[in-house]
Amino acid sequence: MKSIVLLSLLGVTSMFAGVFNYRKLILPIILIGIAAAIGLFVDQWGMNKSFYQMAFFDNYAIAFSCLLLSVSFLIFTLALYHYRKEGDIVTDLYALFIFALTGGLLMTSFSNLVMLFLGIEILSIPLYVLAGSRRADLASNEAALKYFLMGAFATGFLLFGIALVYGASGTFDLAGIAAYVKAGKDIPDFFYVGIVLLIVALLFKVSAAPFHFWAPDVYQGSPVLVTTFMSTVVKIAAFAAFLRLFNYCFTPLASYYEIILTAAAVATLLIGNVTALYQQSVKRMLAYSGISHAGYLLIALVVMGASATSVVFFYSAAYAAASLVAFAVLTAVMENKEGRESFETFKGLAKNNPILALCMSVAMLSLAGIPPLAGFFGKYFLFATAIKDGYLWLVLVAIFNSLISLYYYLRVIINMYSSADDEVPAFTPNYALVLMLLLSLGANLALGFYPDLLMGLLG
Amino acid sequence: MKDIAWLLPALPLLGFIINGLGRKALPKMVAGVIGSAAVLGSFIIGLMLFMHVHETQHGEVLNYYRWLSVGSLVIDLGLYIDQLSAWMILIITGIGFLIHVYSMGYMSHDAGHNKFFAYLNLFVFFMLVLVMGSNYPMMFIGWEGVGLCSYLLIGFWNTNTNYNNAAKKAFVMNRIGDLGFLLGMFMIYYYFGSLDYQVVFAKVAGVEINSPIIVGIALLLFVGAMGKSAQLPLYTWLPDAMAGPTPVSALIHAATMVTAGIYMIVRSNIIYTFAPSAQTVVMVVGLATSIFAAIIGLKQNDIKKVLAYSTVSQLGLMFMALGVGAYSSAMFHVTTHAFFKALLFLGSGSVIHAMGNEQDIRKMGGLWKKLPITAWTFLLGTLAICGIPPLSGFFSKDEILLNAFTANPVIWGLAVVSSLITTIYMFRLLFVTFFGKFRGTYDQEHHLHESPASMTIPLVVLCILSVFGGLLNVPEIFGGNAWAHHWFGEMLFKPALGGIEHAVSHSMELVLMGVMLVLIAIAFVVLRNKYITKGAVPEADEEMTGFTKLVGNKFMVDEIYDFFIVKPIYLFSSALYYVCELKFIDLIVNAIGDGIVGLGRLFRRLQTGNIGFYIFTMVLSIVAILVFKYFVV
Repeated sequence: MKSIVLLSLLGVTSMFAGVFNYRKLILPIILIGIAAAIGLFVDQWGMNKSFYQMAFFDNYAIAFSCLLLSVSFLIFTLALYHYRKEGDIVTDLYALFIFALTGGLLMTSFSNLVMLFLGIEILSIPLYVLAGSRRADLASNEAALKYFLMGAFATGFLLFGIALVYGASGTFDLAGIAAYVKAGKDIPDFFYVGIVLLIVALLFKVSAAPFHFWAPDVYQGSPVLVTTFMSTVVKIAAFAAFLRLFNYCFTPLASYYEIILTAAAVATLLIGNVTALYQQSVKRMLAYSGISHAGYLLIALVVMGASATSVVFFYSAAYAAASLVAFAVLTAVMENKEGRESFETFKGLAKNNPILALCMSVAMLSLAGIPPLAGFFGKYFLFATAIKDGYLWLVLVAIFNSLISLYYYLRVIINMYSSADDEVPAFTPNYALVLMLLLSLGANLALGFYPDLLMGLLG
Repeated sequence: MKDIAWLLPALPLLGFIINGLGRKALPKMVAGVIGSAAVLGSFIIGLMLFMHVHETQHGEVLNYYRWLSVGSLVIDLGLYIDQLSAWMILIITGIGFLIHVYSMGYMSHDAGHNKFFAYLNLFVFFMLVLVMGSNYPMMFIGWEGVGLCSYLLIGFWNTNTNYNNAAKKAFVMNRIGDLGFLLGMFMIYYYFGSLDYQVVFAKVAGVEINSPIIVGIALLLFVGAMGKSAQLPLYTWLPDAMAGPTPVSALIHAATMVTAGIYMIVRSNIIYTFAPSAQTVVMVVGLATSIFAAIIGLKQNDIKKVLAYSTVSQLGLMFMALGVGAYSSAMFHVTTHAFFKALLFLGSGSVIHAMGNEQDIRKMGGLWKKLPITAWTFLLGTLAICGIPPLSGFFSKDEILLNAFTANPVIWGLAVVSSLITTIYMFRLLFVTFFGKFRGTYDQEHHLHESPASMTIPLVVLCILSVFGGLLNVPEIFGGNAWAHHWFGEMLFKPALGGIEHAVSHSMELVLMGVMLVLIAIAFVVLRNKYITKGAVPEADEEMTGFTKLVGNKFMVDEIYDFFIVKPIYLFSSALYYVCELKFIDLIVNAIGDGIVGLGRLFRRLQTGNIGFYIFTMVLSIVAILVFKYFVV
């Protein structure tokens, strides 16, 4: 709880940075603040503190919160690179990032449906603004508007779902709902409709098919830093909330909604991977890649159980570590090539900046699930759990989709290692970028070589 | 002992790394000294280990690291130091060191000098792993490693396509043998549940003699040995391997690597002792190879080819000895052969060096006066290989012949024929090369010079070893105590030893020696008359007719293999390619790829960018889910 308060204060501090003119200091302050928040969380490990039946900080909440904070830390390090020039400093945007992050933390620790709703909204509203933060850019405006309209729809479904569940069970409290479901007496039909609507709203947030349509347009239109934030922090927070809610309340009814999640998982995998094949923009390809990874994670939700939590956690961490590198390299390349983002712009990168190309290759291979990188073990644990629980056919579908994904991940690598058509200016190395790449890459390799670091954490 | 034994292979590996990484930066002199010093260091450690084994009289397993532990399969990175491995270590590092020194002179003008030393060190490393490993997988690692180095060094001058082909041939032929080795290991693991020498050998002692399992294992391992030690029918790569620089021929393709097959069988002697029918196969193959290769050697005119066939023939003789159960005699011959064959190859290298890369003995002659050290050492090497007493070859060969006679007089007779042919082609080589008139060009004649000291000193050292090497194992009949015989006796499976030692009376032994020596003397006189007194020169290739031509063309074995094996495989391969691959597999694969890309195009069209459509699909999906849940299921 202290961390959430700290982050809120940090957001306010950041907001006033523009007014009281300490812009240059703000990023270091934010980084220190986030690190402190991680420290406060780690300190709470194993204490299971509850706050007025609203938030419950069990190990699950703390682990996912720390993951979100660490990813945000790296994104702010990337911001240090991206907004390094004078006049770029946009402190109000940082404030919005931090508020969104605070919402994400609530989504991992809620123990009441109201808190879930608040968390999702605190996360979403700053994001609508952030998506449109490049005011002069038409695509950015379009992204913001689309995101807002569709997000508003999803929020409607979420509220309606919560209302129906409340109507049947008479409580917002997760423990109360769980007891109600467990008792299983005279559950009315509209309770099930409520579950369906909750699923729809959460599928929307994790950008799973058939509620994914907003994702490619919004990811592509938003500024690259916001896209990075959306495809890592937001996605992980949404999955953490999804898993927490269903694992806690609705497991006895799994046979009811399992088929919906399975269908969504298969559709997400297929649409995400197959459409990614056809993209010309790396940014858009990464958006589809993000959709397809949501498909893999949905498999874990179908499988559920205690083993699913550690698998989802590991997979999210592995996915975030690789995505961060990919977006960081994309940021650097786009900056160097006047904002272009097609596959062709990556040509000649290996010659121009071999380190950057190597990092990107590792990230792509990890996303594709090539051993010994973290992405491979994420998939391995996921598939192993699913097979053990008897979902062999689902795993076969997932493996088939992994094969397809190789095509577009390797396409990036092939482009990087083929020669450029025109001369490109040399990259200027930047300590923040190097630090960020080093940390993400180190995390990727560490998880690949010592998967037990995170696998054992959540039992 | 455990503290220093690992250094033995580590030093050459370090040398390889230094020379490999610094091949562009290091001066030639430094690279040569590093390479040689690494091997010398190993040799000194090897001596210490040898003395240690000498004192303790038993082998010792040194486990450093558990490499694999999967189910019941456990593989340790361990070393096994016993009489056999200590002996092999001294041969490998001792002769290896001399050849490194020699190479400093021989390769001094070569642009790839540093790379050459890196490869040589890598070879020594793998060879040491091969003989020092404490289990079959370790042996296999070394086995494959030396194969790799052999490939790299045969094709060292890789701008020459023929040399590259020779390297490829060596690799492929060895792979055939390796398959046998691998299958043998699989069988061992399947039936004995381990690949560790100690465990396996203990279990072998419990099986029935000549049971199909043990015979199968013995034969499969022997297939591996056939490949590496160039026995019929897998020998054809070794003569071609002479494409590599001469020090390589001396070190790898004469003194050390090709004896790996012998080492393997001696190491597994208990397996062969329990599989007498496999032993018979080893004996027959060895004897056949020995005679066959010797006959081909009669009509070769390339100085290195003659020596190469001679190596194949001598290896055959060693396998024959293994086949009659004379393990220590085979090891003794491995040792003396390493001395004099390395000497002969280095001598031939000295000749080639002096002749400006000419290898055809018909264009040499009369080199005696110009290259005195080379000529003298070559002469002594020839006498040693022919088995003239009291040189080393006499003792080792005599022991093999004696064992053959004990087993069966017919085997002895055939082995004598093989030895006699050896004598003939060796004297022919010696006489044609060093005696008579010089037959080369004017330029070559004026370029002739004795090689530098870095090359002649190893020659002299090897010459001394070739002359006195027999002292290691003087038989009782000459008042010796057969030291090497007892040395190896310690590590051999005991029943394998019995019976042979006193089966032949001393007088019979003398008669057998006498027969051999008389035959050698006759051959010497006849050949001297032909090549020195009459000054005959071997006929040119076009002049060869009939059987001579067949022998000169190596019995057309390469052509036969090409026609009956290589061509059909190519044919089969292209049939698979043009029919199966292009007509079926490609079509299917491309259809799948096109299908998925087509699907992608379809899905992309759904992404219209129209937000009204997006929200419509969202609502439609919710309706569909609810309808499905309430009206379908």
